[in-house]
Amino acid sequence: MRFLELASRNLKETYRDPLALGFLLAFPLLFMLLFGVVVGGEATPNFPIGIIDNDHTQVSQVFVNEALAEVDAFEVSTYDDATKAMKDLKFGDLKAYIVIPQGFGQQVIQSGQGDEANITLNITYDESDIMVSEQIISMINAVTRSFANIEIPITIDSNPIHIETEITYIDFIAPGIIIFGLLILIPTSARIMIHDKEKGMLSRLLTTPARPVDFISGYSLCLIAIAIVQIIIFIAAAWGFGMDIVGSLWLAFLIFFLAGLCSIGIGMVVASLTKTENQAEPLCWIFAMPLAILSGCWFSLEIMPSYIRNIAYAFPFAHAIDASRGVLIRGVGLEAISGDLLFLVGWAVGIFAIGVILFRRSMRS
Amino acid sequence: MPSDRAESVKVSSDLAIQTSNMTKIFNGLVAVDGIDLNIKKGELFALLGPNGAGKTTTINMLCCLLKPTGGTATVMGYDINRQPFKIKEIIGVSPQETVISEHLNCWENLALIGKIHSIKAGELKIRSQQLLETMGLGDRAKDQARKFSGGMKRRLNIMMALIHKPEVLFLDEPTLGLDPQARRAIWEYIVRLKRETTILLTTHYMDEADFLADRIGIMDKGKIVALGTSTELKISVLEKHTMIIYAWNLTQRVISEMRSKYDEVEVTNGTMIITDKRLDFKEIVDLLHSSGAVVRSAYIKEPTLDDVFLHITGKELRE
Repeated sequence: MRFLELASRNLKETYRDPLALGFLLAFPLLFMLLFGVVVGGEATPNFPIGIIDNDHTQVSQVFVNEALAEVDAFEVSTYDDATKAMKDLKFGDLKAYIVIPQGFGQQVIQSGQGDEANITLNITYDESDIMVSEQIISMINAVTRSFANIEIPITIDSNPIHIETEITYIDFIAPGIIIFGLLILIPTSARIMIHDKEKGMLSRLLTTPARPVDFISGYSLCLIAIAIVQIIIFIAAAWGFGMDIVGSLWLAFLIFFLAGLCSIGIGMVVASLTKTENQAEPLCWIFAMPLAILSGCWFSLEIMPSYIRNIAYAFPFAHAIDASRGVLIRGVGLEAISGDLLFLVGWAVGIFAIGVILFRRSMRS
Repeated sequence: MPSDRAESVKVSSDLAIQTSNMTKIFNGLVAVDGIDLNIKKGELFALLGPNGAGKTTTINMLCCLLKPTGGTATVMGYDINRQPFKIKEIIGVSPQETVISEHLNCWENLALIGKIHSIKAGELKIRSQQLLETMGLGDRAKDQARKFSGGMKRRLNIMMALIHKPEVLFLDEPTLGLDPQARRAIWEYIVRLKRETTILLTTHYMDEADFLADRIGIMDKGKIVALGTSTELKISVLEKHTMIIYAWNLTQRVISEMRSKYDEVEVTNGTMIITDKRLDFKEIVDLLHSSGAVVRSAYIKEPTLDDVFLHITGKELRE
């Protein structure tokens, strides 16, 4: 098998170069450590919030349609019952939902008349997004107080889902850092291919009977092996830093694997379009860095303007982060992330097809 | 012999490489300008010329890395435009730059090319062993190539082109940038390969072409400007030869006799320099002896390929 020989050669070239290998594995780990230790991030939020109005009074309707809807940071949608809202929360479509209890309007009117009142809201939120959930609670608190015109804090009957696990920042950040590590496969795959092109190895091998498909498979297999090792190390490291793994590890692995394939494909396309490492390297980082920021490796996508989010979701990595957070932190199953998975598969197939076409074209001029 | 070897081009069965008006133009720049070459099976043919003459482009077209802009060629009867993979199976190419996998050892580098050529493991091992011994890399076979000297890397570079016993071997500047000792070692090996396989070698070293090649094609600005054996080339372009004789007891009579026979005869302090179109070494030495002169040493100054190149192109080969 020609491609196996090519793949084995590519692998040896990679793992026998300790510096390159070190960079490949240590760089994202360093990021994980940094983010695990230094927690940060200011938000201009945009949170999808669900409302279940059990009060059905004029006051509660005004509270929903005017007070809450006017908050820029909220994207309010109403639900009839908690079951559907809980489902959306679990799938990541909602950040929190608020149940307005019966008697809410009455209590607000009492407090408006200066009487003693006990205003209660029941909030169920996604605890895995710590930064986000804390902001949501404080914002709802503030909105309600200003609506009811009272100085004292209202009672927030908070109901975080997943209370049995203590969600730490590392839980939230780890999937993003793993995806960032896989984004580094873009420059890695481009470098491995372009190195052979620049040093004449590709030309040399092109004078042998090896076919284009041998080359593509030879490079891909090597890079896939690297990706698999990376994913294993990253997951192990994240676990070592304290990440809880709630859902299926295999499902998470599949998501990361598909994201890795997309990175390899992008790198292959860049390598086919450029002639030297000096051209390829910056071009790869131009893809990798913005994609890392856009896809929510380090920050929640909810804090970004909607048009940026639209751009982010055109690429596979935001989907991979959403899906892997869903699986790892919230423990959702295949059904919940099937849309994201399909998008990832489509992207991987598409980018590989483009890579093969471009590679064939660059083979013989 | 497979039946699908090209019939459109007139193929003589004793020709390994045949090109017909083969041309390559890069963005309006003519790199190879309609060359016609016939290289016989078993022949070692050298393309000699300065950098940029079009030698490597010629090789790259013949080993199917580049498509000719015009014209065509066959390698062992296969058409370079229509049957590239047939050709790739039977050729070996040692590129101008040393192209080896630096983190692989000799065995692994040889296996890379060998396995792509579908050589069985057992045969591959025997063949690798033979090559390593003959090329003098046997004791370093397990070292990664990055630890090698330039000469050793060059040898490995050539070995990788030979592992599958190619019918046609392309050696693009096989000794570029090597010290004289390392060059000599590679020459000796190439000489041993002669007759076993057809070799097309490019070089810009005159002595290399002179020492190794059965025939030489002098290339300049994309064209073959002269073609023949080293001797033919030298004779064809040089009208006069020079003989230098160191002798005692040169009498006036013999000097006069020489002057009557040859175009130019100069004598200073026991050194006689004779120049003419035709010089017969034995005749001159005998004549001197019979006149009573004592010849201490005598030689005919051979014209060099440098002289040939200068004569044809009006410029020195080395920039």
